[in-house]
Amino acid sequence: MIRATTGGVLKSYRANLMNSFISMNKSRDTMLSQRNFNSYAEDPAAAAKAFRLRKSRMTVDSQHSICSDTLKKYQTAYSCLQSMDEVLDTKNPSMNTIKEAVLKWLDDPKGDAREQLSKVLDQMSEILVQNMNQKYGDNFIFAGADGHNVPFEIKDNKLYYRGVSVDAAIPNVMGTKEADGSVTPLEVDPNTNLATTGGKFYVKMDTSALVSKDDFDAAIAADPAAVRNYLMTDGTAGAEKHQAFDSKGNVVDPNTYTGDIYYLDMTKAETMTVEEYDAQKLEAEKLEYLKNEKYYVDIGLGFQEDKNGNLIPSSGFNAALNGINFFGCGLDEDGDPKNIYSIVQRLTQLSDSVPEGGDCGGIYDEFKRLVGKLETASSNFKTEFTNMAASTTKLENNEKLLEDNFYNLQEQYAALEDVDMVDSITSFIWAQYCYNAALKVGNNVLSESLMDYLR
Amino acid sequence: MATLGTFDSFTTARLGIYAAQHGLRVTGNNISNINTAGYTRQRVDQVSFKTGGNDRYASFMDRHIGSGALVRSINQIRDPYLDIRYRNTSSSTAYYDTKLSGLQEIAAILDEVGKGGKDGDDATKGDGLLYAQLQELADQLRAYGASPTSDNNTLIRSAAETLTALFQNYAGRLEQVRKDTEKDLVKNVEGANEILKNIRDLNKSIRDAELHGDKALELRDERNRQIDALSEYMHIKVEYTMEDVGAGIQVEKLTISLANDNPDPKVETDSSVLVDGLYATQLSIPKDKPSLNPYIIPSADDLANNPDLEKLKGFLFLQEVDPANLPDGYDAADVVTIDWPDADGNPQQITVVGTNDPAAEGILAQENDNYTIQLGKLLDVKGEEWINTKSTWTEVQGGTAGVNAVYSYAVTTGGNWNDGELLEIAGKTFTVGQGEFTQDVANNADKLAAFIAKNLSNSDYVISSNGPKIVFTAKKPGAIGGKGPADAPDLTLNNPGKVTLGAQVNDTPGVDSQPPANPQPPEGTVTDPVTGTEVTTAYVEVEGKWFQVTMEKEHTREVVLDDNDLYGSLQAQRETLTEEGEFSSAADQAIDENALTKRGIPYYQKSFDLLARQLAQHFNELNQGYMLNHKGNYVDKDGKEFELAGKPVSKYDGLTAEQKQALIDDGCVLKDENGNNILDDDGNPIPDLERWLDAKGAVKMGGPLFTNSNAGNDTDGITASNIDISKGWSSGDWMVVPKFEVLFPDDKPADGEEGEGGLNHTTQDININHMITLIDKGLVYDPKDMDPDAIGKNLFTGSFNDMFSNMMGVQAKDSKATNIALNNDYTTLVALDSSREGVSGVDLNDEAMNMMQYQKAMNAAMRLMTAIDEALDRLINNTGMAGR
Repeated sequence: MIRATTGGVLKSYRANLMNSFISMNKSRDTMLSQRNFNSYAEDPAAAAKAFRLRKSRMTVDSQHSICSDTLKKYQTAYSCLQSMDEVLDTKNPSMNTIKEAVLKWLDDPKGDAREQLSKVLDQMSEILVQNMNQKYGDNFIFAGADGHNVPFEIKDNKLYYRGVSVDAAIPNVMGTKEADGSVTPLEVDPNTNLATTGGKFYVKMDTSALVSKDDFDAAIAADPAAVRNYLMTDGTAGAEKHQAFDSKGNVVDPNTYTGDIYYLDMTKAETMTVEEYDAQKLEAEKLEYLKNEKYYVDIGLGFQEDKNGNLIPSSGFNAALNGINFFGCGLDEDGDPKNIYSIVQRLTQLSDSVPEGGDCGGIYDEFKRLVGKLETASSNFKTEFTNMAASTTKLENNEKLLEDNFYNLQEQYAALEDVDMVDSITSFIWAQYCYNAALKVGNNVLSESLMDYLR
Repeated sequence: MATLGTFDSFTTARLGIYAAQHGLRVTGNNISNINTAGYTRQRVDQVSFKTGGNDRYASFMDRHIGSGALVRSINQIRDPYLDIRYRNTSSSTAYYDTKLSGLQEIAAILDEVGKGGKDGDDATKGDGLLYAQLQELADQLRAYGASPTSDNNTLIRSAAETLTALFQNYAGRLEQVRKDTEKDLVKNVEGANEILKNIRDLNKSIRDAELHGDKALELRDERNRQIDALSEYMHIKVEYTMEDVGAGIQVEKLTISLANDNPDPKVETDSSVLVDGLYATQLSIPKDKPSLNPYIIPSADDLANNPDLEKLKGFLFLQEVDPANLPDGYDAADVVTIDWPDADGNPQQITVVGTNDPAAEGILAQENDNYTIQLGKLLDVKGEEWINTKSTWTEVQGGTAGVNAVYSYAVTTGGNWNDGELLEIAGKTFTVGQGEFTQDVANNADKLAAFIAKNLSNSDYVISSNGPKIVFTAKKPGAIGGKGPADAPDLTLNNPGKVTLGAQVNDTPGVDSQPPANPQPPEGTVTDPVTGTEVTTAYVEVEGKWFQVTMEKEHTREVVLDDNDLYGSLQAQRETLTEEGEFSSAADQAIDENALTKRGIPYYQKSFDLLARQLAQHFNELNQGYMLNHKGNYVDKDGKEFELAGKPVSKYDGLTAEQKQALIDDGCVLKDENGNNILDDDGNPIPDLERWLDAKGAVKMGGPLFTNSNAGNDTDGITASNIDISKGWSSGDWMVVPKFEVLFPDDKPADGEEGEGGLNHTTQDININHMITLIDKGLVYDPKDMDPDAIGKNLFTGSFNDMFSNMMGVQAKDSKATNIALNNDYTTLVALDSSREGVSGVDLNDEAMNMMQYQKAMNAAMRLMTAIDEALDRLINNTGMAGR
């Protein structure tokens, strides 16, 4: 500037004074709001990061809440299962245990206390069911993915889990054993003794109805007309061909099978309709589904779906407590129930079937055999109980981790957003000092000129 | 003047007093105006006065002394270069200031930094509003996933309601900002127009003052102030030229035009004149988009695509016509087919011709959604139009030069004439002087020629003598009685005896000139139908050469400005109102090659709409489907699996090739609204499973969660401003569907629960998991999903929250960059203003010095007068008193 004029100096001063005032105002805003930036534009990178961190914190907060609720549910479940454990076999001063009752039954050859023990068993089994129907809040704890309906229901002394019999199983019928272990049932027509599609009947598995080839040949030789009593694949008179089985009742090809071949004596075989079979199979499938039912909640393990839209199991927490997994379900290879209640009910029925003062006879052995099944079911219960306890610990750890995360995230965005008050106050004081100095200078700018010195 | 007049020194003193007095007055004026906005300091243009000329009697002893000081004029002190720089920077500063203002308005809505949070909870303070609400929806979904109660399902709906309300609120406020900016633009255009009028009026006042010898300094100050103000609205170029107003007087003429800012070199409208001396234009934003600009030549690309566009060049309007029934004056060669969207914005082609008749039927109009600015005609204060006349001379070949005719009369005899004798020539009598006529024939011819030339007026001939001959030479070429002169005068001498004349001799016959044959353009006046410019052509022979003289009379006309012709606050507001960034169409890019990187309110509105649409679309897709069994296969109402091509139809495994073919064979393929098959990239029909399931009576579950109105369940055209929860959801017809798998088809919802897809309790809440993961899922935001004409590629990929954060970030980065540019420009502007003040501003120190200086000078001049007075008093009253 070649020439500094009054107007020029004033304009320049005004602009600088305004800058000084803006700086002071900004410092004041920073100090009062206690934030490093008050708009996204002030620091876009920090603001974007802060929002991401806040979103993570909100998510963690939500996950923590869910984890906490789930943990409480598991803790309640733990108490329920502990009570059941006590009812099953743990010493409990206030009540008998099922284990004690059955042992007393077995140790009571005279049968003096059978009736009473039978009642005890009945009561204990009902207590178990009641425990399985406990609620946490509004939800039933052991209802799997359901929470709104009583999971276990007793009808006619039979136990149902969410409407499905706990003893449901695919009927054991004769058929072709597939590579995966499943059986493709053999459809038969009991009126013609022909194995044919559309026969509308399946043959219940019963190896006692199988006849070895030698016995078959002997029987035919004795009575040629008996040839039509055995299950045939071709019923042409005089040229009958029969369905071949192995010793376990599986359909085999006689041309390739190298073991002993058996034939099915239809006069001894018991059949069931295809509709009955399908109905029971559907029940069994439902039970299998309910047994494996999972119910994932987001407790901060990633909660992510794969490209097909299926949740990646490890990213969620399976919060489903399926009562039948603790209680047991289905039938074992002997056809006995795996469910504790069903076994106890069977024991009670056996006990009740012994005539008063009479001899147990074979019932004792059957009772004893079933007690073994009860022990297996009880053992399964304890295993599941232990697994659940482990899950509870996992939830506890996760809850703590989420808490840590929560505070950690808070600290991270606070570090981005929150001002250092010392720095902020210093900046403000400095800005104020500069502003005051600018005002002071302004006073001089306005007052001094040659005019003031003219006389 | 070397010789000293007795009282001359009084004049010298008096002039000194006058000069000092002017100085003091100017100083006083400067001091008085020190705070007057736009005032330019003035100074006295003072020169020393010295009388010129030489003395009658020169002497080497003479010394030439000046006679004092004269005040020649009062001037202003300005630096034109600083004015140019200031105004350039002023446009730039105003551009960034206005742009930043718009961005801040947007930020006030979108920027959620420091907003939101639950009362009394420091942890959530600053979580944002919409940002946090998106997470709230996820929270409620998680809560429902963890505890699928009816209450929790209702809470999802509440969260969604709040979310849609926020969308609507933000969208409404953005629209309000757009409307406010629109009003502001209109107001600013009015402001610019007022300034243009003021400058024009000031030009007139200054011109009038100049004609009367006044420099009109104060008016110039005001005009400069107005020009400064105009430079904030648009970048301008200011020129001063001298205009000849006749009688040797020249006055200054101010011309203001746009500063040629359009980066497209083909565009010429960016140099349009705004003010031309006494004339000024006015800006307007026509309601209808101005038709093809007659002054813009279609680009090479345009013409390559449609060479017929050339036919429309030069017309003001487009007129839609029926090719089979053309209006009068048009034939098939005038017809052009152009792209012209219909009322709904759908592309279509129409047939048009060009017209300049504003009353013609079928004139096409489109909403001026680009806020295109039109410059009106240049008018003076009385509303009369500007006219510019210019002529050109060009020599042409092909013409023939004319020949001047020459006649002569020979003086055949001679004799002396006495003084006072009378001579009669061609009927007029003259008195002869002593000895004028002698026996010398040549002398007599000379005298007679002089007599004739002096006394017989004839404008066609030059009369001279040549020896004994009196010669009549035609002044212009051409045959006698043709283009040449009239016939030569019949010369008769009526005083027989002494002087006689011979017969008229035609020495050189006159020949007419001939212009070039069939000259192009022919002579006459042609008026341009568009511009109104009149071009008059004539062919003129000058000194044997032929020239084509063209006189062009140019009339003022309207100009439709191109998209980037302006730069300043008006342009910033236009860009704030129109720029769409990635949502720009090819047409937008054609008028502005940087359209993809400029983002105004429409960009944020469309981004926001896209976010709302994506949210609605994905949640709606998840909440609608058909009943499945626990294997994920579609089943009928009784739970029986459907079979297609002999196999169950799985939702998750997809269709087998056989099943797809079976659907195609059944005619279950995707069709457009006209019932035509939609084909894939290979030209094959696309299987439509939904059509098949509907035909089979599959059980539909759920319904759309988000719609374009709460009054119905319509999902078409969902935007941020209309997004709402569906009527079905709000009325409880359906809820958020936890899953489509139904294990027990005859199961009913538990007591107290609602909706068909509500709380079927037989399997896990797979669908809720989908929704929870959707919140954080990386989705592609394609501008084409919002606007099919958009040419921007992927706008963003990320979650809903990330997309919203990205919108805030885009705005923030633009704001920050604009703020930096503004600060730079503002600092420069302040520096330039200070510099201008340094040159033109009043300084009290200066003025104090001037005041003292002029005061002292005045005192001195007065003292001089006293000294002279005393000296003369001594001389007059006391000289010669010695010896008394």
